Amino acid sequence: MRRPFALQRVAELAAFILPFAAFWVLFRLGPVLYGVFISLYRWDPLGEARFAGFGNYLRLVHDPRFWNALVNTLKFAALAIPLIVGLGLLLGLFIFGGRGSRAAKMMEAGFFLPYLLTVSIVGLVWRWIFDPDFGVVLLVLRQAGLHPPTFLNEPRWAIPVIALATAWWLAGYRMVLFRAALEDIPEELYEAARLDGAGGVRIFFAVTLPLLKPAILFALVLTTISGFIVFGQVLMMTAGGPGRASEVLALYLYRYGFEYLEMGQAAAVGVILFLIILGLTLLSFRWLGFEAQL
Amino acid sequence: MNLWGGEAMSRAASRKDRMSRRQFLRTTAATAVLAAVAPRRLPLALAQDRVITLDYFTLFHSGDAAAMERIVRAFNAEHKTVKLNLQQGQWAEYYAQLFAAVGAGNAPHIGICHTSRLLDVWRALTPLEESRAGNLLDAAGIRPGLYTKKVWDSGVYEGKRYLVPLDSHMWGLWYNKDLFRQAGLDPEKPPETREEFERAADAIKARTGKLAFHPAEDALPRKIRRAWEILFWGQGGELLTPDGRRAAFNEERGVRALDYLVGMIHRRGWNRPGTDGFKQFAAGELGMLLAGNWYLPTTKDAGVNFGFHYVPKFFDRPVTWGDSHNLALPRQRPDRVSNEVLVAAVQAVKWINDHSDLWGVYGGHIPAYIPAQRSKVLLESDSWRLALKKFTDMANAGWVHYPLMHPKAPQVHAAIEPFIQEAYNGRLSPREALARAEVEVNRALAS
Repeated sequence: MRRPFALQRVAELAAFILPFAAFWVLFRLGPVLYGVFISLYRWDPLGEARFAGFGNYLRLVHDPRFWNALVNTLKFAALAIPLIVGLGLLLGLFIFGGRGSRAAKMMEAGFFLPYLLTVSIVGLVWRWIFDPDFGVVLLVLRQAGLHPPTFLNEPRWAIPVIALATAWWLAGYRMVLFRAALEDIPEELYEAARLDGAGGVRIFFAVTLPLLKPAILFALVLTTISGFIVFGQVLMMTAGGPGRASEVLALYLYRYGFEYLEMGQAAAVGVILFLIILGLTLLSFRWLGFEAQL
Repeated sequence: MNLWGGEAMSRAASRKDRMSRRQFLRTTAATAVLAAVAPRRLPLALAQDRVITLDYFTLFHSGDAAAMERIVRAFNAEHKTVKLNLQQGQWAEYYAQLFAAVGAGNAPHIGICHTSRLLDVWRALTPLEESRAGNLLDAAGIRPGLYTKKVWDSGVYEGKRYLVPLDSHMWGLWYNKDLFRQAGLDPEKPPETREEFERAADAIKARTGKLAFHPAEDALPRKIRRAWEILFWGQGGELLTPDGRRAAFNEERGVRALDYLVGMIHRRGWNRPGTDGFKQFAAGELGMLLAGNWYLPTTKDAGVNFGFHYVPKFFDRPVTWGDSHNLALPRQRPDRVSNEVLVAAVQAVKWINDHSDLWGVYGGHIPAYIPAQRSKVLLESDSWRLALKKFTDMANAGWVHYPLMHPKAPQVHAAIEPFIQEAYNGRLSPREALARAEVEVNRALAS
């Protein structure tokens, strides 16, 4: 009697999962596997495909432009990920601290607003802000008697400015996540900590931060993905320049795939990006003590 | 009525309510059967009554985009059964979008292709004389003798014609007459030689306090590469060896050209790296600008008291960078686009060229269609008087040098541009920049 029941249960569960799973397989898993398949070919979208084994990966290994793009991606991720998550957390704490007030509500809406913009608008706005001729940032700095660099035309400034623009764009969503998570922390825990004589800093590190771990993990995974697939803002703000100082992996992929029509090599970059993001996501789980969830 | 059309829906529902269930099922079944057995294409008589909408993708923006919109509006006003659906995009992403659209079997019916890109774009295009609908040029009445010969001849790859020329475009020298006066220069005698040019630029810098010269429209790497190419071609140089297999620019002429370009910014201080000459000129902050004819509508709107002249002869011979826009029919899947639509598309191409005097008047380009070049509307226009006549002079005098025509031209350009830009920004010496570009170009050509 147990076996038919178990089968029925499995069938029921499968029926619940099926609508999502079907779409996930069709639109997520399918393209990923197809991308892996393409990466093994010299794939011309307007012509024929020839099996190349790991030839595309070997070409990447021998291409200094690929390594440059990888290093630029790592630089951007190292700057942008902590900036976005950190700023989101700070804003979340700030808004949570003033919860209920009209000012906090208005500020929350204001901080969240950039997240509603498309990447093209974000890129254009920040390009104008840092325009070397008429941009407001350079104008103000020059008026102050300084000799500022032409940020987006300087190799050492291009990636930090793009990271800053990205933080402005994405931190608002993390703020909402953290604010919601802060509201879930029971007030009694804070009271108990205060009765035990803990100060504000101690309470933050001993109560708030540990209980925010699931939200931090979510924000970190989300931001890691955003950080490594950065594309639109780079294309709009610097197009990978000056020189190749801000050419990131996603831009490299786009150029090889859609400008030079070397889809196999582009797909190989996609597979590498996928593996990097997967590895970092697993590391995040481990780092925050969620191995059991895997 | 609610926002989602609730009134219409409720009316339909009440009609359905009045129908018996049996009637409703019968009607639905009959409709389904009819839909299943109906022929895929409508009979000709019916087809003539329907409107064919042709998607037309271009890479025009700002002034020339507005001119193409005007032409398309005129087309749509004149035609009842064929309509053009115009979509204009950025130059830089256009070809990627075209390839993706053709690869996905969802190509526009009409597109634009630069002459210099034919060697890497032809696979995405329909051979016009050997299409599945027959000879489309004959179908539309497009006659070779009515187009500028050089431009017409360059629309062929391996014996097959893919392009119908629309225009010629090129760079020239835009100058601010007010700043010329302030600098003690004659605004009616713009510089023609290198010495005259240097004297003018130094005078503008010294006497007006404004920026003297921008050599490359804006800060985009491809524009800086074009400025360098003008100086390099002017000494007889070419990017690749004649067989197209190796880089040929890393030699004294290439270094001299780049050194001169870098010197304009870093030794003579005529401008700053990373700046946008378009904006500087439109704001009245720039004395002279090397830029394309497409700048004409923008500079007219900006209200600058400008003049236009030929590119000065910087080295051994006068040269300008130039190319041509052509109309083309992207490759279509037979199951998605009928022969009838292909013919309609090529007829629209013919109509656009018949009216390309407007392209000159409002877009600032030189029409490739000879009757349009001779049109009274064009020859009596402001555009002709202000700039197009001199652009035409440069074209007729053989000054126009096309960009590299090679199947791997995009990769070659992409390999060169970052290093030219780094030299222009003052972070690489001209010699080192060209040496590094040479290695990358040879790698791209070998792969």
